[in-house]
Amino acid sequence: MSNEIESRMRAALRPVAPSDEFSQRLLTQVALPRAPQPKPRRSGVGGLHPLAWWLTASLAASVILAVGVHQHLQQQRLQQSGLEARREVVEALRLTSQKLNLAYEAVKSQSRSLTDEQSGA
Amino acid sequence: MRKYTLPLFFALLAPALACGAPSPKLVIPSFSGLAQKATESVTITLDPALLGMAARFLDSNDPQDAATKEVLKGLQGIYVRSYTFDKDSAYQQADIDAVRSQLAAPGWNRLVETRSRKTRADVDIYIMVDNNQAIGLALIASEPRQFTIVNIVGAIDLDKLHKLEGQFGVPKLDIDTAKPAPAPRKQ
Repeated sequence: MSNEIESRMRAALRPVAPSDEFSQRLLTQVALPRAPQPKPRRSGVGGLHPLAWWLTASLAASVILAVGVHQHLQQQRLQQSGLEARREVVEALRLTSQKLNLAYEAVKSQSRSLTDEQSGA
Repeated sequence: MRKYTLPLFFALLAPALACGAPSPKLVIPSFSGLAQKATESVTITLDPALLGMAARFLDSNDPQDAATKEVLKGLQGIYVRSYTFDKDSAYQQADIDAVRSQLAAPGWNRLVETRSRKTRADVDIYIMVDNNQAIGLALIASEPRQFTIVNIVGAIDLDKLHKLEGQFGVPKLDIDTAKPAPAPRKQ
């Protein structure tokens, strides 16, 4: 039974030579120039995944922004300290001049009274 | 061993001499008790770094700023303490004496001493001179309701200080900078 099936299958699946027409068509197809293959689509810049690209760009922007803000704040602090120091210098010189004026007035009134005494004598 | 004795002696002597050298910078007490009693207090401490910073913020095109900038050149510090009270005799003379006693040290010369019975204002101006150059100025002004201590450290050019006249109201004091300062008068 099984031998019969086997022999029938062998008969059905026997190697058959292709027809001339088939060979001709195959050779014609092989000889034809190949159409350009579509390139695989790149998803992001430099071949990076879009998400990775956005993350990198955001990180770089954040770093630049942070450095800029830090420098701006530092500059602002420096300016505030400078203006405060300037105000203190002006205040110190104003107070000094005020007290020098006090001494000057005392010296002047003393010398005036001496002159008056001398002219009276 | 003997050859090391002399260098060792000088090495030990140098810091001692440095400590003994008079400094134009006064040790000003904190006056924390007075600051609480005062209606107005001014505490200014300007070291060389702050003076340099202040100078950078002075406009050379502005006459007042330019004059101030000239005065600041060569200065190493400005220290001011000023207290104003709402009643007479709110401070003790001993508070000022702590500073005044430092001015009895060699190097300090009293330039001006005024005692006004009318205004009851006493002003003492001291100067420290080194090689005919004023290197320190101290001013103590005591009035019934106010006392002020000013200590300026560094190469003070009195001529430049004169130029501030009329700008901060600095009066023209008859100070001859060419003459040597008077001998110190001990308290």
